[in-house]
Amino acid sequence: MKKLGVFLSLITLMLCVVSCMEDQDFDQYKDLSVVPVFESSILYLESTEDVINNVPPGPFYSQDFSFNAFSEAFFSDRVLDGVITYEIENTTSKPLSLTLEFLNDADEVLDSEPFTIDPAPSGTLQRDVVYGDTGKSLDIIRNTSRIRVVAVNEGDSTSTSNVSPPLVKFKSSGKFSLRIK
Amino acid sequence: MRKYSIIFIFIAFVCHFVTGQNKQLLYDFSEIPQSLLINPGTETDFQWYSGVPILSGISLQAGSSGISVNDLFANDGIDFNDKVRDRLINGMSPKDDLSGTYQIELINIGYRGAETDNFYSFGIYNEGDAIGYWFKDYAKLGFEGNADNLNNRFNLSHLKTRGEILNVFHFGVTKEIDNKLTFGVRGKLYSGIIDFTSTKNKGYFVTTEGQNNLLSNTLSADLELKSSGIITLDHVIDGDSSAGDMIKRGFFGGDLGLGVDLGFTYHLNEQTLITGSLLDLGFLYHSTDVLSYTLKGNATVEGVEIILPDAINDPNTDFWQDLVDDVEGLVPFEENRKSYITFRPTKLYGSLRYNFGETVQSKGRLDCDCNLSGGKSNRTKYANGVGGQLYVINRPRGPQAALSAFYQRRFGNIMAVKTTYTIDKYSFSNVGLGLNLQAGPINMYFMADNLLAYRNIAASNYASFQLGINIISWGKN
Repeated sequence: MKKLGVFLSLITLMLCVVSCMEDQDFDQYKDLSVVPVFESSILYLESTEDVINNVPPGPFYSQDFSFNAFSEAFFSDRVLDGVITYEIENTTSKPLSLTLEFLNDADEVLDSEPFTIDPAPSGTLQRDVVYGDTGKSLDIIRNTSRIRVVAVNEGDSTSTSNVSPPLVKFKSSGKFSLRIK
Repeated sequence: MRKYSIIFIFIAFVCHFVTGQNKQLLYDFSEIPQSLLINPGTETDFQWYSGVPILSGISLQAGSSGISVNDLFANDGIDFNDKVRDRLINGMSPKDDLSGTYQIELINIGYRGAETDNFYSFGIYNEGDAIGYWFKDYAKLGFEGNADNLNNRFNLSHLKTRGEILNVFHFGVTKEIDNKLTFGVRGKLYSGIIDFTSTKNKGYFVTTEGQNNLLSNTLSADLELKSSGIITLDHVIDGDSSAGDMIKRGFFGGDLGLGVDLGFTYHLNEQTLITGSLLDLGFLYHSTDVLSYTLKGNATVEGVEIILPDAINDPNTDFWQDLVDDVEGLVPFEENRKSYITFRPTKLYGSLRYNFGETVQSKGRLDCDCNLSGGKSNRTKYANGVGGQLYVINRPRGPQAALSAFYQRRFGNIMAVKTTYTIDKYSFSNVGLGLNLQAGPINMYFMADNLLAYRNIAASNYASFQLGINIISWGKN
């Protein structure tokens, strides 16, 4: 065993003598910043002109529904800022208004985003809403667990559009930065 | 959560530091009994040998074909995030790997049979072997996100990894067929302790312009991760099981498999010989403690969709939950306990060697200064040997090869050294040195690779060493 000890000591000594290592700074890991930006569609609403004309002028659709994408811990704990993009196309013959409300678990309205859309042929609207330091509070996003959509016919219920097919399309997508590390 | 972190770190460690090791220094180093484990057809002149338990064969190898510690952590004033982005995320390719292997001999004994042309060797060793290819597109998605990668398909096949820890029980016979040819075969019984494999993944994730909505996210996945022994490991970490339960798995209490090694040495003439071996031609059947996960299917999502008048007719629709259920139905994440088979990473060695210089008196049965025209075993040992070696291992992304040139020098029967120059995917400047010392019956050896990298070990892409102690007898001589 003594010979073994000498042998291993010599080997260790040899490696210690010949091996070197440039200065390493493993604390650099603390500086690592991982902030990916993810984007995805949020809500798509489509209605034909027939649906609008089937009810008297006024609200023709109102609906609350759960939306947990924002309140998931992975998202809400990490989100830094973001933007929600809305795009509305109206090829019906009537002016419309549409309101999107963000609700929390207690059904309290955290924020409201109203839209007024002209009838065809000029009925297109695009809007970016920023959240974070340069925009609305991120708490709106973090605490949203439900969305309410209210669509209102601001015109008549008899006219028909010359554009085929006459539709209103509400599109939306979100683009958010998340702090992973 | 902590225990899963520990399991993840353990697997990551195995992936990083433990590939079938190229033992180019030990290969055909016939003074060392462990060379029989790399080529059962190695010519030996021992009467018997016994490895010192646990110390007879210790080897460790780690390699990274893409990046070194120094590339990331050198104190060079470059922003760490730039280094991660340029050298790791964008700099490495899905063919780059982090891999390693270790081996610890528990028992290794050899003896010459009554018919002296036969040499028998048997033993047990513990081995860990793992490889993980750079999961480039997963890393890119995690680091950058999908926002500025419209129409860019993130390739899910970039996840490719496998690893295992097992005990190997082996028995080999080396037979001198005639004065030119020595042939060996070694049977192996594998007792699997831990295994994980995820090597046949397919699919992609892509964000495109939506058909209805602004964006469309598509996931097409055919992913599978199979494992065995992880549950027991989990219980050991939790304290619900003892470490003995893991050890039992290594002694026929877990997964079982069979394998075989084949090897030969053939003399082309008195001084020139060729050798070859095929190792671990075998499989493991994983039937115990199996836990596997799959993610298979195709789904395209454009957010919550409300289409009127359909939505009016069903006012109680839970759009969000329906969306979640649809995705989970189309791309189900499932768990199963189905048995599976893995094939061992088969290795191939070959060499061409030319011996020259003064002759060295053998201590053993080859104690004869004769030439090939004599009978069996009447072979001269030369002080010098030079040649080339080939090593190929079967890996998840196909065979991985290494080419070595070597020079071996014997100093009587007391010391022998071997130096190699090896090129492979990890390094083009791998110089290795092996030393064998014989003090009476005590045999000691130490070998290390990629010595030039020791000038700055942090910048090395490859490191390997082997050492061991044996007791050797040459019988009456």
